[in-house]
Amino acid sequence: MRNLLKHSLIIGCLIFAPNICAQVLIVHPHNPSTSLSKNNLRAIFAMRIPQWSDGSAIHVFVLEDSHPIHTSFTKHILGMFPYQLRRIWDRQVFSGTGIAPTIVKTSEEMRERVSKTQGAIGYLMPEDVDDSIKVIEGSL
Amino acid sequence: MNILSKWILLAISLSPISSQRMLLNNMKSLSIFLLLISPIVVADEQQSWLGRIQLHGFASQALVFTTDNNFYGDSEHGSADFTELGINASMQLFPKVRAAGQLLSRHAGNMDNGSPHLDYALFDINLISSEKGRLGAYLGRIKNPIGLYNETRDVAHTRQGVFTAQAIYFDKVRDLILSSDGIQFYSEYFLPSGNLIFQAGVGYPIPDDNVEQAYLGQQWAGDLDSSKLAYVGRMMYEHDGGRWIFALSGASLDLDFNHQAADSVGPLGISSGKLNIDYTVLSTQFNGEKWQLTAELALQDVDYVNIGGLFAAANTKALGYTLEANYKFSPKWQAFLRREAFYLDRDDKYGHDFHAQSIQLNALFPFVPISPAHSSFSESWVVGGAWDITQNIMARAEYHTTRGSATLSPTENDIPSAKKDWDMFAISLSYRF
Repeated sequence: MRNLLKHSLIIGCLIFAPNICAQVLIVHPHNPSTSLSKNNLRAIFAMRIPQWSDGSAIHVFVLEDSHPIHTSFTKHILGMFPYQLRRIWDRQVFSGTGIAPTIVKTSEEMRERVSKTQGAIGYLMPEDVDDSIKVIEGSL
Repeated sequence: MNILSKWILLAISLSPISSQRMLLNNMKSLSIFLLLISPIVVADEQQSWLGRIQLHGFASQALVFTTDNNFYGDSEHGSADFTELGINASMQLFPKVRAAGQLLSRHAGNMDNGSPHLDYALFDINLISSEKGRLGAYLGRIKNPIGLYNETRDVAHTRQGVFTAQAIYFDKVRDLILSSDGIQFYSEYFLPSGNLIFQAGVGYPIPDDNVEQAYLGQQWAGDLDSSKLAYVGRMMYEHDGGRWIFALSGASLDLDFNHQAADSVGPLGISSGKLNIDYTVLSTQFNGEKWQLTAELALQDVDYVNIGGLFAAANTKALGYTLEANYKFSPKWQAFLRREAFYLDRDDKYGHDFHAQSIQLNALFPFVPISPAHSSFSESWVVGGAWDITQNIMARAEYHTTRGSATLSPTENDIPSAKKDWDMFAISLSYRF
């Protein structure tokens, strides 16, 4: 019930004020990055960039395809649709040419996994952010 | 870990010195060996190797009904002979080296009996990677990058329907262009306007009995072998994160036919020679929020050299295309309309000359059956839909109405007597993780 209410609020916010309630990008607290370009973000979330500039592995976390936060992030931050990302991942996974991101079920799990995984990147609604993770800017 | 890196360095450094063939022959056993030992070796490193392994798989079952002709089994009476199962693993061995492999079992009527085989097994060696792009190579058994769908044509979730579009991705000779054993380089450029993606290489094709049946009309005592390197490549531009995709891809391969004495008997006997096959695919796709529009065009030129018999001076120039509009009613429901057409000879689309020659041939050699004109083309309208029951489970249904029998497999049908007009209904249930 709590989740349902939360989802409704998110969807409502996205419909009426998409710019105010945009998702924020989050990374592991030790990540030195401060901002990433849209181009760069697309490549990272398409699992096409395996490493950060310092050579450490990038670990991508996403919510399920139909999750409203994932849908909105894909659409407004990446400028893509969830089915496009899914097709890129599937093509890589089932042809052996690449891998898929780790899927988490909830925002809480997203925050926890990103805070505990070196090289992690993910996204959250601003109100779910706390000190355990670092927020970086995704320039549009 | 040291042993492992030496193995890989050895494999790479050997390539310019030793013959490619030797390396490639060793590659299969090497990759399987490395896949087997790598978990053990890496486990010694006290790092979580489990965390660097990804396992995925898929399973799909279809039911096929046709009014006439057989497609994927005895479909006139309803066929369940279309089952696909696959499992794959990918493991990051080192920051720059990844290993991946997939086992596939595919039961497809008389075309494929379901025995499991190695679908791909490769090392992905990443040479350069930055926010601007990446460059690297795949070594081993690699799926050929042809069209938008060839690499994952056996995974129901990644196809456009129950079947791949037969006008482009002919299932009757699928193994020939499905994968090759060799090396392919990839380079990708992430530009502000979109991504430029190249993949190209050389390798040995993997022909099976269906290929001989399809190109040489029957199973001969001799064999088609694949001892010559084939070239394969694709250039693709994804505009604006893939809103528009444009691709040009192709393969060029030579197959040697080595005849045996029994093959040369009679006036239509054949002798040793070769088949030269050039395959080119042009693809374009629009990916909108609701609409997805796809167009693909395939040209296939087959040259028969020195084989003689019915194939003396034969040179076929086939053409296939598919146009599709897909509409997403909701994230879970979508429907599509597709036009598919395939012509065995693009200068004789509806097979009139082909039929006339066949009559002449039959007059000379009565044992050669007359081929109807409609066995040289196939035109279909397909309407279908998909329902994503969950993120991982999908149900599909589609209806085909087809004129022509060119995409039917000769291993499932007596082509000269196959019906001209036939309809098909197919449903499938597919899972992937």
